[in-house]
Amino acid sequence: MALVGLFFVVPIVQAVTVSLSGWPGVGPVEIEGLGNYAAVLASPEFYHSLLRTVVFAVVVAFGIVSIATLLAAAVSRRVRGARIYRVIWFIPGIAPAAAVAVYWNTAFQPEIGTVNAIAGLLGLNTNSALLASPSTALYPVILVSIWSGVGFAFILILGGMEQIPVSVYEAASIDGASPARQFFSLTLPLLRPILSITATLNLIWAFNNFTTVWGMTNGGPGLATTTLPVLVYRTAFIDGQFGEGSAIAVIAGAILLVLGFVSLRITQSRGVS
Amino acid sequence: MRRLAAFAKHVLLLLWSALVVVPFVLICLLAFRSEKDIYNYPLGLGGSFTLENFAIAWWGPGGDTGVGIFLANSASVALTALATNLAFGAPSAYFITLLSGKVRRRLIRVFLVATVVPLVLLVVPYFQLFDFMGGLNNPFALGFAYGSVALPTTVLILTAFFSDFPHELREAASLDGLTAFGTFIRVVLPLSKGALVGTSLLALIFVWGESQLAVPLLQDPTAQTVPVGLLAFRGQFQGQLGPIFAGLSLAAVPIIIVYLIFNRFIAKGIALGGVFR
Repeated sequence: MALVGLFFVVPIVQAVTVSLSGWPGVGPVEIEGLGNYAAVLASPEFYHSLLRTVVFAVVVAFGIVSIATLLAAAVSRRVRGARIYRVIWFIPGIAPAAAVAVYWNTAFQPEIGTVNAIAGLLGLNTNSALLASPSTALYPVILVSIWSGVGFAFILILGGMEQIPVSVYEAASIDGASPARQFFSLTLPLLRPILSITATLNLIWAFNNFTTVWGMTNGGPGLATTTLPVLVYRTAFIDGQFGEGSAIAVIAGAILLVLGFVSLRITQSRGVS
Repeated sequence: MRRLAAFAKHVLLLLWSALVVVPFVLICLLAFRSEKDIYNYPLGLGGSFTLENFAIAWWGPGGDTGVGIFLANSASVALTALATNLAFGAPSAYFITLLSGKVRRRLIRVFLVATVVPLVLLVVPYFQLFDFMGGLNNPFALGFAYGSVALPTTVLILTAFFSDFPHELREAASLDGLTAFGTFIRVVLPLSKGALVGTSLLALIFVWGESQLAVPLLQDPTAQTVPVGLLAFRGQFQGQLGPIFAGLSLAAVPIIIVYLIFNRFIAKGIALGGVFR
C-alpha cells in the first residue's frame, strides 16, 4: 500500500501541484494559480493535438476490434493450425514497441522501405513517403498501432466466443440460419460486453500511446502526429515548460480516468473483474 | 459458395500471419546485410552475409553506447522490477484474499483504479521525484519504479489466483503449527509457480518495452535501456540501416524467444485478468 501511495497518489498530487506552478525543471515548486491551464486552453496546439489524439484513438480502437473479431470468428470454428495462429499473432504485441516503431519507420521510407519494396513487386509506385507529409503521416502510425494491438484483442474476443455454448449454434443451424446470419444475429450480440470492454481498453491505450508515435515520427512532421502524450513530453522535457506540460497531462489524465471508470463500470456490471 | 467462404477464410488467416511474421523475419535478415545490399534488395533476398552490423550496433556509433550496454541496463531494470513486483505483490495479494469481504473489496477497488492511472500523468512527477532523490539515469531506481507501477496489475491477477486456493491446505498447515506467513512461504508459494511465472512474464514484457517513463528518466546514453537507446539510434546512424536492424533484432529476439517458450503461462496470466499497458 505504501508503494502504491508513493508511486501513484503522491505523483498525482505532485502533477496537479506542478501544473499550478511555473516550475522550470530545477528548484522548489511555487504555486502560481491556474495560469498554465489558461495558457493550455488558449493554445491552438492543444486543440489540434487533442483532436489528433481522439481521431487516432477512435480509428485505432475500431480497427483493432474489427480485425480481431474477424480473425477470432475465422479461428473459433476449429481451423487447422488454430493453436499456432494464437501464438504468433501475439508477437507484435510482445516485441518492444520502440523496436516495432523504429522498424516501421524504415519500412515506410521511399524506395528502400519494406512497404515500398512490396508495392514495387505489385507494380505500384515505390517512392511514396507517407511519413514525410503532414497530411498523411498519421495513417502509417494508425496502421502500425492497429497491427500491434490486434493480437491481444484477438485473445480476449476469442475467449468470449469460446464461452458461447455450441448448442446455440446447433439450434440456429436447425432453424436454417446461414453461417453469416449466425455471426451477425448470434455471435455479435452475445459478444457485445467483451467487444465493448476490448474497445474501451484499446481506446485508452491508443489515447495514451507514446512509444509508437514517438518512435515513428517524433510527433512530426511539424505537429502533424503530436498526440497528447507526445505534446506533454515536448512541452515539459524539450521546451522546459514543466508547469504547462503537467497541465496538459492532468487534462489528458482526467479524460482518460473518465474513460477508465466507464470501462470499469462495464466490466464490473458483468462481474468479470 | 461454402467452399469459397472456407477458402477466403484460409487466405485471411495466412495473410494476417504473414503480415505479423514478415517484419520480424526481415529485421533479422537485413541485420546480416551490408548497406549496399539493403538498398539493392530491400526485401533481403540477395546480397552477401556479414556480421559487421552487429559489431557496430553492439558497441554503438561512438564505441561506448551501443546495444551491449542497453541490454545490460535493461537486464538490471528488469531484475529490479521483477524482484520488487513479486516481493511486494505476492504477499499483498495473498493476505488480501484472507481479509474480510468488505475490506477486501475496498482494497481491490483501490488497485483497480490504480491500473487505469495513465503513465502520461506520472511522467513529470516521477522526473521530479527521481531528480530529488538522485535517481535520474539510474537503471535500478527505474526498475524499482516499474516494479511499483506494475504492482496493481500483479496484485489483481494474483488475488484472482489465490482466492481459489484450497482452504484445506491452509488449515492443515496451521494444524501443523505453521504461522500465516509460514504457510504463505512454505505451502502457498511453491504451489503457485504457474501464476507467479505468468505474472512475472507479463511484467517483463511491459518493462522490456516501456519507454514513456524511461525516455525522460534515462537521458544519459550509458544508462539507457534497450527501447530508449533504439529510439535514439535512428538519429545517430543517419540513414545507416544495417546497424539499426541489428539493434532491432538484438532487442526483439530475446523477448520473443521467452514468449514462445512460456506462451502458455502468459496466456494463463491474461486469462486471470491482466495485461500491463
